[in-house]
Formats: sequence, structure tokens, C-alpha cells
Amino acid sequence: MVIRRLLNYLIPHKKALTWASFILILATFADVIGPVLVKVFLDQHLVPRSFDRGALIILASSYLGLNILSAILHYYQLVSFNEIALKIVRQLRIDVFSHVQNLEFKVFDNTPAGALISRITNDTEAIKELFVGVLAAFVQNMVFMLGVFVAMFYLDVRLACFCLILLPMIIILMISYRKVSTKVYRRLRQELSHLNAKLNESVQGMNIIQALRQEKRFRREFQTISNNYYREEMVNIRLEGLFVRPAVDLIYTLALVMVLNYFGFQSLTGPIEIGVLYAFINYLERFFEPVNMMMERLTQFQQSFVAAERVFELLDDRRIAPKGSSVDSPGISQGEIEFNDVSFSYDGDKGAKVLKSISFTAYPGQTVALVGHTGSGKSTVANLLMGFYPVTQGEIFIDGVSLSRHSHQELRSKVGLVAQDPFLFAGTISSNIALSRSEITEKEVQEAVSFVQAEDFIGRLPQGLQEPMGERGTTLSSGQRQLICFARTMAGNPKILVLDEATASVDTETEEAIQKALRKMRQGRTTIAIAHRLSTIQDADLILVLHHGKIVERGTHAELLAQEGLYYKMFMLQHGSKEKE
Amino acid sequence: MLLFKDLMWFFKQEKKGYILGIIVLVLVALLNLLPPYVVRVIVDEVSRGALRSESLLYWTLILAGIGLAVYALRFSWRLMIFGAASRLSRLLRKQLFDHFTLMSPQFYQKHRTGDLMAHATNDIQAVEMTAGMGVLTFVDSITTGGLVVLSMAVFISWKLTLIALLPMPLMAWSTSRYGTMLHNRFHHAQAAFSDLNNKVLENINGMRVVKAFGEEEAELEAFRGLSEDVAAKNLAVAKVDALFDPTIQLIIGLSFFLALIFGSIDVIHGKLTFGQLTQFTIYLGQFIWPMLAFGWLFNILERGRASYDRIEKLLKIKQTIKEKEEALSRFNNGDVIYKGASFTYPGGNTPILQTINVRVEQGQTLGIVGKTGSGKTTFLRLLPREFDLNQGDLQIGSTSIYDVTLESLRSKIGYVPQDSFLFSTTIAENIALGKPEASLEEIHQAAEIADIHADVLSFPEGYGTLVGDRGVTLSGGQKQRISIARALLLEPEILILDDSLSAVDAKTEKKILESLGKMRVQKTTFISSHRLSAVEEADLIIVLKDGQITEEGSHRELMALKGWYAATYRRQQLESLLAEGAEH
Repeated sequence: MVIRRLLNYLIPHKKALTWASFILILATFADVIGPVLVKVFLDQHLVPRSFDRGALIILASSYLGLNILSAILHYYQLVSFNEIALKIVRQLRIDVFSHVQNLEFKVFDNTPAGALISRITNDTEAIKELFVGVLAAFVQNMVFMLGVFVAMFYLDVRLACFCLILLPMIIILMISYRKVSTKVYRRLRQELSHLNAKLNESVQGMNIIQALRQEKRFRREFQTISNNYYREEMVNIRLEGLFVRPAVDLIYTLALVMVLNYFGFQSLTGPIEIGVLYAFINYLERFFEPVNMMMERLTQFQQSFVAAERVFELLDDRRIAPKGSSVDSPGISQGEIEFNDVSFSYDGDKGAKVLKSISFTAYPGQTVALVGHTGSGKSTVANLLMGFYPVTQGEIFIDGVSLSRHSHQELRSKVGLVAQDPFLFAGTISSNIALSRSEITEKEVQEAVSFVQAEDFIGRLPQGLQEPMGERGTTLSSGQRQLICFARTMAGNPKILVLDEATASVDTETEEAIQKALRKMRQGRTTIAIAHRLSTIQDADLILVLHHGKIVERGTHAELLAQEGLYYKMFMLQHGSKEKE
Repeated sequence: MLLFKDLMWFFKQEKKGYILGIIVLVLVALLNLLPPYVVRVIVDEVSRGALRSESLLYWTLILAGIGLAVYALRFSWRLMIFGAASRLSRLLRKQLFDHFTLMSPQFYQKHRTGDLMAHATNDIQAVEMTAGMGVLTFVDSITTGGLVVLSMAVFISWKLTLIALLPMPLMAWSTSRYGTMLHNRFHHAQAAFSDLNNKVLENINGMRVVKAFGEEEAELEAFRGLSEDVAAKNLAVAKVDALFDPTIQLIIGLSFFLALIFGSIDVIHGKLTFGQLTQFTIYLGQFIWPMLAFGWLFNILERGRASYDRIEKLLKIKQTIKEKEEALSRFNNGDVIYKGASFTYPGGNTPILQTINVRVEQGQTLGIVGKTGSGKTTFLRLLPREFDLNQGDLQIGSTSIYDVTLESLRSKIGYVPQDSFLFSTTIAENIALGKPEASLEEIHQAAEIADIHADVLSFPEGYGTLVGDRGVTLSGGQKQRISIARALLLEPEILILDDSLSAVDAKTEKKILESLGKMRVQKTTFISSHRLSAVEEADLIIVLKDGQITEEGSHRELMALKGWYAATYRRQQLESLLAEGAEH
């Protein structure tokens, strides 16, 4: 199954593959013909001592010429096969990456980031080894072995037939080695992972081990595991000694004995051609190097297969993000948002409800604020509105049209998110603001920057808007990053804003700039604000207090204070603690 | 080659294996000289038409015998040399691990787990490679190479040998040239791969932004570009890599050609027989491997050298927490006294604790509170000597903790650190970590006090349930309670709870603290906590701020003080009220 799918990746390269194979066969042909020329020289010239100058020159130059030709051809076939393998891996990588882009959010919640990254990079890298190994080594070696046999048959049919028994011997050796080594190798890997696990856990828990004075015991235990690993390593050494190089060399010696005997017995009854003997011995010598190479690669392939299995497993993950409809998608012009009896659970129907019957309306230009404790469901409201998760119960309307009927495109351009974590891509400030939106001009970037009043600090950077960001770029404070993210959202001029307020504390100066920018951004836009600090949303048109997924209180700031309920308590709490500090 | 000198101590230790192995290697090289000779004899006899069946049988048996002997010998040197190398890696692993157990938290702050793991696995593997493959290649290429050339020169013709070996320096030159080219290109390929990796990392971490702005296509485009770059850089590597085989093949072909031409001239002049010529070409074939191996050897040695240096550097790091030579192995319990204790992390410039003076009487409970970063944890970690004071003294029962052995000091202390770490064994073994011989009853008892007994019984295999990847996933609170049970099992004179109830709900916390109070009569307890309710009942509470004690006293005294403690306490009360209040 895995093999089949891997082979499918070869199909687009049929032409290149055929061409490379053709060159390979030519190169092999040139290789194999060399000893035949030597045979001709020995049998027709040297033994009968007939030295025709012209014939000898032709022979010598064709020998050298073939040698050079074979080297050139080999170079080209090696490069071609590598190129094909690299192209395949590139395609495979793009396929996996593209698939991951389209997965729904749940996958990212449930899968550790490290696992996904390792699928896209490391596992595909392991598959590369498989393709390069198979195409560049296995195929070539097989063709070469075949070529050697063809040449042998040409030289002496009977002896070549005898030599055929080498094949089953080698195949049996390979199969039995693979069979035994799979088990031994697995045990070796297992012991290695025990060893690593023990080491990892001991290093991490060293302070506990020392506090409880268990150093000696852990040394002992590690020693035991280390010994087990050593034992498996010795088994592996023995196994390789029994099956790999020494065994292949033994078969070579036996083959030599066979060839010598064949000629020896023939010579007892009549004359033989010395040149043929020479050629056979030469062929035998060359025949066994590829066998050794193939044997050594066998275990490596097993690892690649496991990697391929994992990659395909990810490719088969069918949890694709909802795309939204594309036909007859109405535009978003007003920016009215309505939540109608929305309930939601992250784990499908069985899971605990994070939202319970949420209903509210945000009229065009209004700000609706969501407050509540961590885990009250605030962020989920934003997640649903952004279409990160499909709504399963109830419905969300924008401008009176169900969310699912809006096109992806329209939602992305009209609903702007300011995420909690100010995430910047590697690139410049400018590229972080414009992103891939080609309709955003440089001027608009500039405008967005001045709109959120970030021009001051950006102006102070050596390269201004072109200042590189990310790992190798300037490090900005959290508040400054926040402002750039604001500008990114504002550059798209969205109708609707979803603000997930940052919890990270920033210095007072930047905090003021942020609050000012936020107030400006909200003007004329329908805004859903998720607030952690009540002070920032006192002017909201509607405040919803969420608790365990339910709206427990709703109203304006003044109304809620008058109720003296949960909001009141929260307000007093924050107010009180602020005075104290 | 220097590395071989550095590893001499080990070679001496394993001298039997290595000497025997090397003797066998040389023996194999010698035996391998025979088959070409046999071929020569038979070819000569055949060409003279003088071959008799007895002599054919004789040589056949000898050849088969050599084949079998070489098989057995090759197997045994592998066992000897590779086995010794494998023992070297086992020894280095032990040395490293033993060294790790002596290192203090300071060491672990400086070296990340991943790096230490890499040293203990990859670096040791590279050294093992040197001690096995490296030694083999070194000995084999010198003996086989030397013997083959010697045999060609002495037994056949030194002139022909010289001629045939003429192209060989070309091979050495071109392969080393390719090597440098490859090195650079490989470096670029690695860099491209690392860029690709970073892009994926960024993409996965920024998935929210990617999706919110509909950047999927653009991301894919960027990724496509990067993977094309990776493929292109790798192809550049392949283009050099592919030069090796054809070049070697070409040069060997040239060598054979020269041998044949000049050999044939000798045959014509009667200086050489057919058999000798055949023998010569077989020897020539045998010479290829040592030539290749020698180039490869430097590669192995270079890698081994770098790795061995890293391991050595790690092993040379000195133990920072040491016992005095005349350290007492026994001392009496009593009041715990911090006397003008000051502490700054090595390399840091802001003091974490400044002249702290506290006296905790035997049997009392001390509560330590304060904001994150105020020095609470450091205060506690000084007691079991995870770090040593820069100034002042720490005493238990009027004995300085620096005058006693670590063993005797730590045996008095049950320390539950902030982040509870569980090992991937059973729950019972995790609780009995400090006392492996504990009876099941004792374990149950400790678990009962830590209020984890009922939880454990609800697991499929009770106390035998495995923790971690292969077993149950425990909640933060469950982990903390198991850590507490682990300390309680030791019935320590001094119990340290470093914010170790943070993930437990208020009710359970109260329950655990109550049973602790009942059980630990005349025993000292240190509790640090963010939640002030945990220290409410303590005999003495200190409030730390920037490494100094700002408030000190009992709960009631501190409330009356109306300082940070009182304000924080009231706020926390209100908060818990809020969490409950909304339920109605």
C-alpha cells in the first residue's frame, strides 16, 4: 500500500525516468564491455602473438573511450536519478504542507506542533533517502548485475548458467538477513529508546533524584539499561558479521572456485580461451560490490517506510476546514452580527459544551464586549465568528445571511482579527502588515501605520518599515508588536473587528498608545471585543458577562453596575486591587 | 590521528581485544593475498596445458579453505574490534551519567536537556565509530594496502606496480577536491533545509493568523519556493557527489589499462606469465578499497575528535555542591536558622536574597509568600543545598548545613518542588522513589495523607498503573499530590512544600494541610504559596519582595499590618467568592 503510493509519485516523471534508465543501461553496457575487449586482446592478440598495429590501436582506444564514455554516462544517470528523487520529495512536501493548510483548527488543537513539523520536514527527508537509495543504488545495482550476466552469457553460456546459482544464494542471504535483522534491529531501536528515555527523564528529574538521595540507584538502573543496549549491539555486530560483508565475500570465493574448476576441467579435455577466464574473474570481482551495498541499505529502508507511513497517515486526515460557499455569496456591507442560540463543543456532540445558547446582536458600528473568567467561553465566540470551527448548533448571521453562506474570501477581507498573541512572520514590518494582499499599496501600509500611531517607533528603527522582523531581525516589545498587528488588520479596512485583548502586560506608555489605537479602530466598525480588563470596554454599547459558557448578565456598563451582580463584583475587584498597587 | 592518542587509555584497557583483533586483521590481509596467487598458478598451468586434476583439486580445497577461514576470521575481528568500541561507548555513557548525577541545578540551568542528550547519544556514537570503524579502516588500509603493493612489487614486478599506481595520486587529489566542494554545498543545503524547517515552525505556530487573514495560499507559495530551494541546493550537492564514483571508476580503468599494456609487453618478452598478469589485476582490484578507505578515515576521525572534545569538556566540569572533608555524617535536628543569608545566581548581578534572617523553631510551620520572582523558591532550595549561599549561614539545630554530609542533610528533608516531576514507572514506584523498600501499606498511608489514594484506586491498575506516555495522563493536581506523598513517605524531619498545592482546589488543599498538621507533630514544615490560604495556619509567615523580608508575623499580625499580605488576602477571598458566587 505504502509502496504503491510512493510509486505513484514516479508517474509524473515517467519521461525523465525512462531517459535516465536509458542512460543507465548504456553506461552499464559500456562498463560490461570493457572486460570483453580485454578478452579479445588476450585471446586474439596476446596468446597467438599476433600484433596487428591497427587492430591494437582500435582496441586500446575503444577501451579507453568506453571508459571515459561510461564515466560520463554514469555521472549523468546519477544526477538524473537524484534529480527525480529530489523532485518527488519536493512534491511530497508541498502536498503535505498544502494539506496541513487546509486542515481544520481542531487538528492543531489535538496534535503537538512538533509532530506536524516533523511530518513535513524530517519524515519527508527520510523518504528522500528511500527514493535516492532505491533509484540511485538498487536500480543501478540490479541493472549492473543484469549486465554482468548478459556479458557472461555472451562469453560462455554454460559457465554463465553455472553462475546463475549465485543469484538464489544471494537472494536467500538477503531475505534471511532481512528477516533476522528486522527483529534484531527493532530490539536494538527499542533498547536505544529505553536508554534515551531513561537518560532524558533522569536529567529532567535530577533535582528530585538528588533530593531523595537516589543517585546510586539511578546509576545502577541506567547501567542495566546501558548493558542491555550493549548486548543488543553485540547481537547486531554478530549478525552483520554472519550475513553481510564476510558472507558476501565467502560467496565470492566460492564463485571463484567454481569458475576455476570449470576452466580447469575443460582444459583437461581440450584448449580453452584464457581471455574468457580473465573476463569472468574480472566480472565476479565487480559483481559483488553492488551486493554489499544493497545489503547495507536494507535496514535503512525500513526506517524510511515507517516515515512514509506516518506522512501518508497525515495526508489521509480528512478533517478539512469548512470552505464556505462560493456561489451567490452576498457581500458584507453593513456589518451586523447576530448570534442565534449558538451552542458549541470542541469535541463534537459528546464533549462538554463551551457555549450554551448564546444569543445577541451587534448592530452596525456597535461594540459588543465579552467579559468573564478564563474558560468562560469568550474566545470561543471569536473562534466561531472567524469560522475557525464550524457552528454545529444554532446559527450566526452577518448582515442577515448565515455565516456558512458567506464566501471564505469575503469573510477574510471584511472580518478583521486582532489575535491575543501578536504574531509576526519573518520578513519586514511592511510585509507583515501587507501580507499577501496584493491590493494593499505601500501608501495604504503607511496609512495603517499612522492610523494606529505606530509611526513614531517605526520611524526610529534604522530601516523603518523595511526593518526585518523575526529571529534574525530586531526584537520589538510586546506592545510594539501589538501595534504592528493592529496596522495589519486595519490595512484591510474590515467592516467587522474581532479584538482578542492581549493579556501580556506592556509598559504604560505603549499601553496608552494601544488603547488610543483601539478606540480609533472601533469607530465606524462593528466590534466584538474580548476584554480581560474591564476598564478598556466601559464605553461598549453592550457588555455580555459570560460564565461557564452562558450569558449571565447583559447591558451597558452603567446598567450592569446598577445590577450589583457578577460584573459589579469583578469591577470592584479590579478597581480595588488597582488602588492598592 | 591525535584522537587515537587521546583514546589510548581505553585501547590499553581493552588491549587484548584490540591486539588480537589487529592480528586477525593482518592475518586476513595476508590470506587474501593467496587467492590471486592460486588463480595465477591455475591460469599458468592451463595456458601451458599442464594442469592435472589432482592439482586442480588441491588448489580448489586450498581456496575453499581460505574462503572459510577468512569468513571466520572476519567475523571474529568484527566481534573483537567493534565489540571493544561498543564497550567504549558503554563506558562513556556510564561516565557521563555518573557525572550528571553529581551536577547541581546550576549545571542543568546552563545545559539544556536536549544538548545533554545529544552529547550522551550522538557524540558517543561518533567516538564509538572512531574506536571501531576508525581503527579498522586505519589498520586495514595500511596492512591491506601495504601488503598488496608489496606483493605486486616483490612477487610480480615492481616496475609494473609503479606504472599501474601512477594514476592513483590523481584519485587522492580529485576526491579531496570534491570533498571541499561537497562540504560547502552541503552546508548550503543544510541551511536551506533549516530555513524550510523554520518556515514550517512559523506557519504552524501562526496558524490563527494564517487562517484569519486567508494567507494559506501565500504560505503555500512561500513554502513551495523554499522547498524548491532545498531541492536545488540538494541537487547541487548531488552533482558533486555523483562525481566521486565515475572519477574513481575512470582512474581505476586507467590503472588497469596501463597494467594490461605494460604487462602484455612483459608477457611478450617472457618476463611475465599470463597467470602473473591475471594475478596482478586482481591485486589491483584489491587495492581500490584501501585507497577509498583512507580518504574516509579522515572524515571519521574529524567527527570523532569534535565529539570526544565535547564529551571531555562536559566531564571536566567540576562539582559545585561539595562536602567538606571532615563533614559530619550525623547531626541533631532542631531549629532552622537563616543567618544573614544572601544569594546571587552564579553569573547574575541582581541578588535573589539579601541578608535574610529567619528562625523556625523545631516543630513549627513557616509560610513564605510574595509575588513571582520575589525569591520564595530560592529561599527553599538553599536548605537541601541545591544552591549554596554567597554570604551568611544556614543552620539546623545549631549545626551549619555546610559542615555535614549531603546524605545526612538531605535525609532529614522531604522536598516537594514547584513543578512535580514523575518518572514513567508505576504510581507506587513514584511514591516510593526515595524509599524503594517501602511496604505497600506505607505507600497507601502516605497517599492517603496527600489525598491521592482514592484517585489512584480509580485507575485501572491501581498503584501498578504506569505514569506517562505508556500509562495514564495525570492532571496537574494529581501529580502534585503524588509528589507530596513521595515526600511524606520518608517521614522527614523537615518538609518543604514549594507552591506544591497550586493545582489543587481550595477544599483539597485544606484537607491535606489539616492531615499534615495532625501527623507531623514536632516536625518542621516550610510552605510557600501564591494562595495565602495555604499559609494561614502557619506559626510564622514571611512576605518576600525582591529578596527581602518586608512583612513578618502570624496571619493575624499581618492582617493587622494592612500591608501587601492583607490586601492580597482580601482580594483572593473576593476572587474565590466570585468563582463560587456565579454558580447561583
